[in-house]
Amino acid sequence: MKRQIPLLIVIVLGFIFAIHTFVPHKVSSDFFDWYQTWIKAISPFMVLLGIMSLTMVHSTKIKRKVPNWQYSVVTMLALVGTGAIGFIWGTQEGTPFMWLFKNVQMPMGATMFSLLAFYIASAAYKAFRARSAEATVLLIAAMIVMLGQVPIGIKISKWIPEISSWILNVPNLAAKRGIALGVGLGMTATSLKILLGIERTYLGGGD
Amino acid sequence: MKLNCAKSGFFLLLLTFCLFLLPQNSRAAVDESEFIIQNLQVQDIPDDDGSGLVVSWKPLPKEKRIIEYRIYRGITKDSLFFIGKIDVNVKTGVLGDEMYFYDTDFNYWLDTQARGHLRKEKGQKKGSPLYRRYPRDIKIVGPLLQHYDILGVIHEKDYYYHSRKIEVIADEDTTVYAGLKLREFDQMAKKLLPDHEYYYTIVAVNEARRYFPHAEPAIGIPRENSPEKTQEFYAVYAQDINRLQFEWSLPIFTDDIYYHRVYILEKKDLDKFSKYIEYIEEVEFNDMAMKKDSTIVALDKVIENPAQMIYQRYSSYPWTPSKTVYINIVDGKVSRDKPYPNIFTGEERDVNVDLDVNKIEDYYFVFSLYDHAQYETFSEVSSVDILNSSELPKIPPFKIKDREDDKGDYNNVMWGKPIVYLTNSTYLNESKTKLLVNYEYKTNKDYKIRNIFFKVFDESGNEIAKINEFYQDKKIKIKLPEDSDKTQTLFFEMTFKCNKDIGDDYILTQTLAFDEQTKSLYPSEIFLGDEDLLKYSYYIYKHNYYDEEWRISKKVAGTQREIFDNIRYLNSHFKLVKHYDIEKGLFLVRPSFSVSHLEDEMDKSVSSNLFSSEVENTLKTYKEEIAKITASKDTLETEEEIKNADDAIKDYEEQIAIMTTNPILKKAASIKNPKKRIKFLDKARHYAKNTFVYKIVKTDGKGHFSESEIYIREDIKPTDEKDKFFAYFLGFGKTHFHPRSNWFNKKMLPALITSLIFGLLVFALIKKAKQGKDLFIRPIAGIQEIDNAIGRATEMGKPILFVPGTSGIGDVATLAGLAILGKVAKKAAEYDTKILVPCRDYLVLPIAQEIVKEAHFEAGRPDTYDKGSVFFITTAQFAFVAGVNGIMVREKTATNFYMGMFWAEALLMTETGASTGAIQISGTDAVTQIPFFITTCDYTLIGEELYAASAYLAREPLQLGTLKAVDYLKVLILFFIITGTILSSTHLTFLINAFPEK
Repeated sequence: MKRQIPLLIVIVLGFIFAIHTFVPHKVSSDFFDWYQTWIKAISPFMVLLGIMSLTMVHSTKIKRKVPNWQYSVVTMLALVGTGAIGFIWGTQEGTPFMWLFKNVQMPMGATMFSLLAFYIASAAYKAFRARSAEATVLLIAAMIVMLGQVPIGIKISKWIPEISSWILNVPNLAAKRGIALGVGLGMTATSLKILLGIERTYLGGGD
Repeated sequence: MKLNCAKSGFFLLLLTFCLFLLPQNSRAAVDESEFIIQNLQVQDIPDDDGSGLVVSWKPLPKEKRIIEYRIYRGITKDSLFFIGKIDVNVKTGVLGDEMYFYDTDFNYWLDTQARGHLRKEKGQKKGSPLYRRYPRDIKIVGPLLQHYDILGVIHEKDYYYHSRKIEVIADEDTTVYAGLKLREFDQMAKKLLPDHEYYYTIVAVNEARRYFPHAEPAIGIPRENSPEKTQEFYAVYAQDINRLQFEWSLPIFTDDIYYHRVYILEKKDLDKFSKYIEYIEEVEFNDMAMKKDSTIVALDKVIENPAQMIYQRYSSYPWTPSKTVYINIVDGKVSRDKPYPNIFTGEERDVNVDLDVNKIEDYYFVFSLYDHAQYETFSEVSSVDILNSSELPKIPPFKIKDREDDKGDYNNVMWGKPIVYLTNSTYLNESKTKLLVNYEYKTNKDYKIRNIFFKVFDESGNEIAKINEFYQDKKIKIKLPEDSDKTQTLFFEMTFKCNKDIGDDYILTQTLAFDEQTKSLYPSEIFLGDEDLLKYSYYIYKHNYYDEEWRISKKVAGTQREIFDNIRYLNSHFKLVKHYDIEKGLFLVRPSFSVSHLEDEMDKSVSSNLFSSEVENTLKTYKEEIAKITASKDTLETEEEIKNADDAIKDYEEQIAIMTTNPILKKAASIKNPKKRIKFLDKARHYAKNTFVYKIVKTDGKGHFSESEIYIREDIKPTDEKDKFFAYFLGFGKTHFHPRSNWFNKKMLPALITSLIFGLLVFALIKKAKQGKDLFIRPIAGIQEIDNAIGRATEMGKPILFVPGTSGIGDVATLAGLAILGKVAKKAAEYDTKILVPCRDYLVLPIAQEIVKEAHFEAGRPDTYDKGSVFFITTAQFAFVAGVNGIMVREKTATNFYMGMFWAEALLMTETGASTGAIQISGTDAVTQIPFFITTCDYTLIGEELYAASAYLAREPLQLGTLKAVDYLKVLILFFIITGTILSSTHLTFLINAFPEK
């Protein structure tokens, strides 16, 4: 029963929503809107799940004094502190919560994001090492595309921007569309497997 | 980095320091009086309906670091409630010298989200009159109802089925109301009442959210004003058809305007008319003064309006009313068989004006707006523009159809034949011999364009290009002669080939003329024959059974050929809330509701009541009133009294006639079950409101317009007429059109067929696989290496990291990632290797936990399952990356799996993984992240391989069958792509047109 009932719910609702794609009738759209309100109602409970998991993992680490347990203390303090600040002073503009968000979380997030520039350079170096014929083609294509994006490209040759846009619009787009087609079919196949109960791993593996 | 006590102490100190860094300056002791708002004023908004006040004040300098101004309103100085705020950029402050807050029209007053109890505003001293928003407490908000116009928005189900019958006895009269709890209102909106006093104050809040003392409350009284003056009014006389045409602009404030009127004025009476205008302005000024000073007396009516009214219409509020009207002059007269009523004064005006058409230029015409307070504002007088009807635009035939493939909320209004026009041009080479011309086309469902033909001529009339656009990609390339003048004008002739004949003479012309400023060829006006299409626009007028007055559905450019008229499902009732029942905690609204209107009788509503007993009581009361008035008639002395009595009797009799003879009300009365009765009435109300008659007007905006007749559908299906319910609505489906809810989206037919083919393929191949036939599946290196990668972690004694994407459970890629997690976790459990699964989504977490737990059970190692190994980190994208990277560095994971949907975080994680020396296998369907994975991971599952992985690993017939079906479907799609390309290259576009455009 533990598996059959969820499976039944998935199959029934799955087919209903598959039908909804083809049926624009008001009955169908009203049902979909009603379902969306349910999703909104369920969302807060999901947050609770996350907080419980976080608390459980880190409290265990602190209790067992596992290596680096002090990080868990910081995490727990941040969790409780931010929550408390939000509950006490609210989350409006000008409150300590908003201050923390703007001056702690946002800069730290931006810092992580800015690392991406260096990582891209490192990844590009790895990708463009001309160790094989394919990698050499990749290197040449990348050089042309990069030069095509900057003014110096057209100074070198008026053909560079045109070749650059051709590379982007023809072989690159063809490959992207090929992947997208495969992805679309793969998604359809996975959805069908779920609908028909062939794929049940999401229920907790096995049968 | 190993963390010890000293380091963790440092982190804690850093955190505490951060908290202390909060804007302390803003919290420091300051002189609060400097933060009190100055120059607070409340003034009446001119030209409005008497419900608007504007609050103004001087903003504080930016040095005060103000973050918002909070506005409070009350009916006394002693209690003012928060009604709104204006946010301010703390860095720039307010640049102007004054700030304004407009308290006008219906806006939010109360709903279920309001606080339960009255609460004082923050940071105010004891005895402060400031409160937060109005609470849900009926004891507090109930008495306020009389000081505002409160409009309750009630969902129809609550109004119909949750209303309690409440009888209120006042002055021996019993009135029945529908009582509703606050939670049964979607919202209550308020509007200020004219001539009532309202107090306002402002509180400044700084960046530390410190609330400063409020300003001394200022009083404001909204006043009824005359409507604003109409800016544009045009009069046209088409002499050959003896028709007067008028067109006007609409005012900004339309709430209280009741009538739109047109007057005729002899030019010799212009001075008298000017004096009349002065007089009515004086009356308004005097009325205003009387309200302020009770000793001032009303002015006697001394001046008559010399202009004669020839047309009147209802304002159609809240809809946008029509802006045009034509009046036929018959036998030298402008007349109407019925007088125009004035519901405020009760008087009726006959229209019977003699008009000498030979001296039409001796007349002026004036437009006026007449409001609820009986103020009238006239436009400037307009002389008539005399012309012949042939000079008016020609209106094309039009049609109404239900829009296909929708839920029944659009009617498709279409007219005319297709249009094509040039929009831009660009030279493609330096020698300017290749010209790219962009074009746009408009058509409607009636005309499906097959080809567009362009002919291009130079200034000498030589044809320089001929193009057949069999596939309309909205651009054409023209090759110009090398020796041609690049500044010469190019002439375009454009024609169509459509699904039906459009006529050989249907040719559109346009030029590309050289523009000196931009040094390019720029498109000119578009001509269809002699008509400049850009000069005209179309008004689409409509009205329903509920409201016979024409309103504008849309105004569109002359190049447009169809519109989709949105007909929204309105599930709410809008009711004025004036009374309340404090004991029962109910707000009271009228239980009667309009179902429809009588044709040509705008003030005669077909109404019913929530409570059927009340319908009977009303009938009884009307009859009693008639008897009472009839009995007292003998005692009346003056003619006026007798006339009033007769009018009252007539009114009651009319009401009784409506209630007893109207087919909808008669049918409703025969339904005994209250729920079924209401359901029937609601259905009738829905059809009355959402069924429309249409006509279109083509105009230049200056009175030169042509108006179509209403559209009558000739091919109406007899079944529509036979339907008993629709028999209540005269002309339903023939002249009145209701959109239909469709059960199948035809555009999705190719998708449905493909899905069915796919389903069949799956079943066939599963059967084949079950029969033991070998289904070849291309080896995928990334999947084959999974076992080795797990083995490596086992050998090294290090954990495995598995990231199931960073998307939610609704993403199919996440489900595919979780399917792979099941297989990897089982293998890891068999080898007794620890697996770490960090999650970014709350819902993915318990599912991943369950999958890993089940995998351990299947491997026969339930004891090794650690619930803490599958854990939630955060939903914040880069914080999640920081968490995962930290795990990689600290735990020194030997194998990293990234399976699912990823965004910018992909490279951050995989580069860190690569730097720790872990073997990495990734799989994603995110096209933008695949290059990063390929670069930094050892193996990558590209796109569809991610979805194939679980089947590949499972090797079950069911899974393999599905996988193989995908391959066969790919062959089918490839066939269509190749065939479509070949066919469309040879001008055969039927195949690509068979697939809907996205």
